[in-house]
Amino acid sequence: MEQYLILFKNDFDDFVERLAKIQKLVAPVKRGSKSFAFDEVTAAEDVSLNYIPTILPPKKYFMPQNETIVEYEKKQNKWEAILYSEAITLFGVHTCDLAGIQCLNLVFSDRPNDVHYIIRKKRILIIGLECNDYCDEYATCGLMDNHNANGGYDLLMTELEDRFVIHVNTVDGEELMGKLAMVKPADAESMTMLNKMRNKKREVFQPEIDIERKELKPLFEESFQAEVWDSIHEKCLSCGNCTNVCPTCYCYDVEDEIDLDFNKGKMVRKWDSCQSRPFAMISGGENFRPERGGRQRHRYMRKFNYPFEKYNRYFCTGCGRCSRTCMAKINLKETIETLIEEKK
Amino acid sequence: MKRKTVAFFDFTCCEGCQLQVANFGEELLDILAAIDVVMFREVMSEKSDEYDVAIIEGSITTPHDVERIKEIRETATTVIALGSCASIGGINGMKNSFKLEDVQSYVYGEDGKNYFETIPTMAVHQVVDVDYFVHGCPIYPPEFVKILKYALQGLPYTVKDEAVCVECKLNENECMYEKGLTCLGPITKAGCNSWCINYGNICYGCRGMVKETTKNASIDVIKKYDIPMDWIMGKFDMYNKATESEEKK
Repeated sequence: MEQYLILFKNDFDDFVERLAKIQKLVAPVKRGSKSFAFDEVTAAEDVSLNYIPTILPPKKYFMPQNETIVEYEKKQNKWEAILYSEAITLFGVHTCDLAGIQCLNLVFSDRPNDVHYIIRKKRILIIGLECNDYCDEYATCGLMDNHNANGGYDLLMTELEDRFVIHVNTVDGEELMGKLAMVKPADAESMTMLNKMRNKKREVFQPEIDIERKELKPLFEESFQAEVWDSIHEKCLSCGNCTNVCPTCYCYDVEDEIDLDFNKGKMVRKWDSCQSRPFAMISGGENFRPERGGRQRHRYMRKFNYPFEKYNRYFCTGCGRCSRTCMAKINLKETIETLIEEKK
Repeated sequence: MKRKTVAFFDFTCCEGCQLQVANFGEELLDILAAIDVVMFREVMSEKSDEYDVAIIEGSITTPHDVERIKEIRETATTVIALGSCASIGGINGMKNSFKLEDVQSYVYGEDGKNYFETIPTMAVHQVVDVDYFVHGCPIYPPEFVKILKYALQGLPYTVKDEAVCVECKLNENECMYEKGLTCLGPITKAGCNSWCINYGNICYGCRGMVKETTKNASIDVIKKYDIPMDWIMGKFDMYNKATESEEKK
């Protein structure tokens, strides 16, 4: 099954059109002057191949912002789980976002597994897009080792001069390429080009912060009392942008939405943010994390400390979205650098 | 379940929030099946002195308003503040930036000012207890329906104390600050589904401020984007003057 294919750029328009005819095709598109978003496309001209990470990561297709999970009728005591999925081809996913989806897969497959998520995931076909260079200065994919794809895709495309080399990783991916009937096996020349580019990447991507990846976990473990959280407390607006754009934040709230007949209704799962003040508030008004610094620390711990204990994996993908979107300039790189300084 | 009787009242306002309700279209039929409207000046001639739920639009700006709202509060079991003027003082709060005498002279002239008593603008809850708040200028229709359902069931409803940015991000709008514009989204209470920004406008802060004050952070942001402080203050005062000194619980 594992094989490399080749697609010349002259055929890219045709490639996208054919993909869009098979099932719903979603790709990065331009959203405003400096922003991008994943959205449905039908032609190559809609697609932005050269994009910086989208406002929201592709997780929105796996766990939508608003998702009806139960419908009920009170009088009839009728409850029905709503399982909805849609066949989607997710095109142009950067390697950092592939890692993000892998993290979410771990969480939602963990017991008790989340049927709503898993059913959706089964019908999403992922075509990754390798980054040959940095998107911007916010990314830390070199440190997190996500500048190369470590699985998590059906097909992975690498752009090389006049062509794309496509790595086929799954049977689903192979079948899709079969349906398109337009890509050929990669020749020796293409493979040489691919290797050359990968070698070059080793020089381009370096750890962005002067720390070994394995040292991140102990660094955060010992940072609970660090002063950096106090200065972040002063900076943070508590707007929740950082968690909403994070590819591995998965916290949600479930709201009960009853109809005006006060009989029929539904339960809707909505994204929630640990950065908002009421997140850790309980009845009686007690709040476990009333301070913004404490809430930010929690966010960092959920990326660099706790998931490492539970899943043996960092939940920061290095995509840089949290720093890019922060209006108050709270920067992940700077936070880690300050922690390193404080520890010395 | 016996349908609750509902009466609409207007104080100092443009009656635009009631117009939003009148304009609901098909959903109004479902609402009318759930409540019994006994008074709604904008859409019907009938009147009533008895009602379970009082829906108040407008702010309190005269001594007469104070008496009237107190009477309504005594009659109704449930009071809902409808729209910014009622829920936070809204546009009318701009009056509080000036001397009352100057305002009177400006509006009614030197001769007329003595005929009209005036007091600083207040939101409804600054005079009587309010059970439910429907923020916004105008109200966001889906939120009104949502809160009405809570009110009819007698359940408490808390407007989420988080910024408009939260909903704006989920809608994947490009940030207004990235476009070089000044937006009050980061300090304004969510619940409107970032209505204005979805349509390309900025947030004017019509829903009131989030409870947590983040003064230093806000100053940092203003500096980062090189925004003159008085621009922000001008935007802030447009809706939030009447409730700016409130203790934030």
